[in-house]
Amino acid sequence: MRQKGNKTDAIVQADQVSRSFGSIVALEHVSLSIPSGRIFGLLGPSGSGKTTLIRLAAGALSPDSGTIRVLGQIMPNRETTAHIGYMTQAAALYPDLSLRENLNFFGALYDVPTGELRARIEEITSEVGLFDRLDSQLQTFSGGMRQRASLACALLHRPELLILDEPTVGLDPVLRRSFWQRFRELADQGRTLIVSSHIMDEADRCDELAFLRDGRLLATGSPDALRAQTGCQDLEDAFLALADALTTAPSGERR
Amino acid sequence: MSRRRVLALATRIVRQFRRDRRTLILMLIAPILVISLLAYIYRGGTHHVSLAIVNGDASPVAAQLVAGLSDSQALTVKTMSAADATRAIKQNDIDAVLTLPDNLSLTGSTPQTLTVTLEGSQPNTSSAVLNALNQALPTTVVRALNPAGVPLKLNPVFLHGGPQFDQLDYFAPTFIGFFAFFFVFLLTSVSFLRERIQGSIERLMVSPLSRAEIVLGYMLGFAVFAALQSVVLVLYCVYAIHIHYTGHILLVFFFTLLLTIGSVNMGIFLSTFARTELQVVQFIPIVITPQGLLSGIIWPLSSLPGPLRILADLMPLTYANEALRGVMIRGDQLGALWLQTGVLVGFAALMVILAASTLHREIA
Repeated sequence: MRQKGNKTDAIVQADQVSRSFGSIVALEHVSLSIPSGRIFGLLGPSGSGKTTLIRLAAGALSPDSGTIRVLGQIMPNRETTAHIGYMTQAAALYPDLSLRENLNFFGALYDVPTGELRARIEEITSEVGLFDRLDSQLQTFSGGMRQRASLACALLHRPELLILDEPTVGLDPVLRRSFWQRFRELADQGRTLIVSSHIMDEADRCDELAFLRDGRLLATGSPDALRAQTGCQDLEDAFLALADALTTAPSGERR
Repeated sequence: MSRRRVLALATRIVRQFRRDRRTLILMLIAPILVISLLAYIYRGGTHHVSLAIVNGDASPVAAQLVAGLSDSQALTVKTMSAADATRAIKQNDIDAVLTLPDNLSLTGSTPQTLTVTLEGSQPNTSSAVLNALNQALPTTVVRALNPAGVPLKLNPVFLHGGPQFDQLDYFAPTFIGFFAFFFVFLLTSVSFLRERIQGSIERLMVSPLSRAEIVLGYMLGFAVFAALQSVVLVLYCVYAIHIHYTGHILLVFFFTLLLTIGSVNMGIFLSTFARTELQVVQFIPIVITPQGLLSGIIWPLSSLPGPLRILADLMPLTYANEALRGVMIRGDQLGALWLQTGVLVGFAALMVILAASTLHREIA
């Protein structure tokens, strides 16, 4: 079943992508392909380049070299953005507007048909449990509520590809579990999810994983495949084993 | 270009600022407060003026009047021939000419009228002349022995301007432009900075929203408030403090709007160079204050020393002020203000380009 992730149905295809910010190399020659209809986890400590890779895929950044394709189009590409739902690390919504006003605004940006928008907003806020807070301003929301609002906003226009940058950070265990249940449902509907995390116990919930460290790709594969490759039962141990392999063979290990 | 997206952005901005009551009230109250203060200062002020008296009659009463007026603290009095006085007032050597009629007598019962010719182009001087004369005349009339209490009236004749025209009429048109320029700049740069700080700009950048739509949406949203501010300020100036006003009201809004387009985009552009709201405030002494001082709002351009004059000629507000004065004081049509219109359109275009290029950097 997991062998299905070949290049032909890859929804995201990164090819030798590098990106620096000043003298800091955030991402170095990263190539990977993300199959559609799966939950793809980007795992790595903070500063490993997860957010940079995510922003490149979302079209918020251009690579210095290499290309990143989403749905066959080289990013950044404005037409493709209509098919992407992007949840940034910060809530990134307007705190002085109500949840409904925020969603109305983004619904219009993504051209959700006017006739459907109201029903769609009510549907999506029910799903994330914020229906009764639709008309409250976001500045009255708790951190977890803001994150749910942000998720609702990313899902509003029913995107094929969801790019979620550390969506569960700071959530309590109950809420985190419900987020992951929701992610699984979306993948079952055929949507693709890219979820970044630095929490290794979330890795097992993904179909495919990419381990990142210091801007380099350590390995990709399903959680079981990575376990088999390293001989470690625990994914955290697997990550550390792969990271050690990189540091002991610094230059030759790249491909 | 999607009209729906542009309108969504404009509506969002209107919603956010409608909720920010304090800013909204400040935007309306501050200009009114400032202009009311100026009204109080300028319409109650005294000023030293030079007056020529043409006294063809040399009657005792006239001599007494000349002597009495010469005693006035507020007036410098010279007696001249009618021809000299006419030349002097045209050369701006004197501010006003008081012509005493032949056979001036205060013994009859008919009221006497004294004609004052005012240069008129500097309204505060005109009002100072009239104030000084109105204060000095009653005492001199008493000294000229006026037992019958014959009324003495002043008949002001203006070479330029008009009797109701004063310094405030000269200021007020520029205030409408200045406050629109200032507030729209401040609000745009702060609200754009907030987009950056709260990260929503990233959401906009990865949405189907184009740069042109962002610029247009922002412009539209803030134009609503600039228009509201101009309407309130124009109505207040015309109906509450009775500012001299002859031009077409739509032209006032046209020039205000043109200036606002430049201002919104200048705000978007400069907010790139600010990391905090405090840093936005620091732009005020750099981009706003010099224009407020040099663009001819208070001191006429002709009174500026050479280098500052060149600086003033480079400022968009200078042209907005000329245009708004032209419309409100002289009743100019658009055709007479082609230079000002052209410069303001150019300024707006330049700022749109700069704003769009910073938005481009936002993506790359």
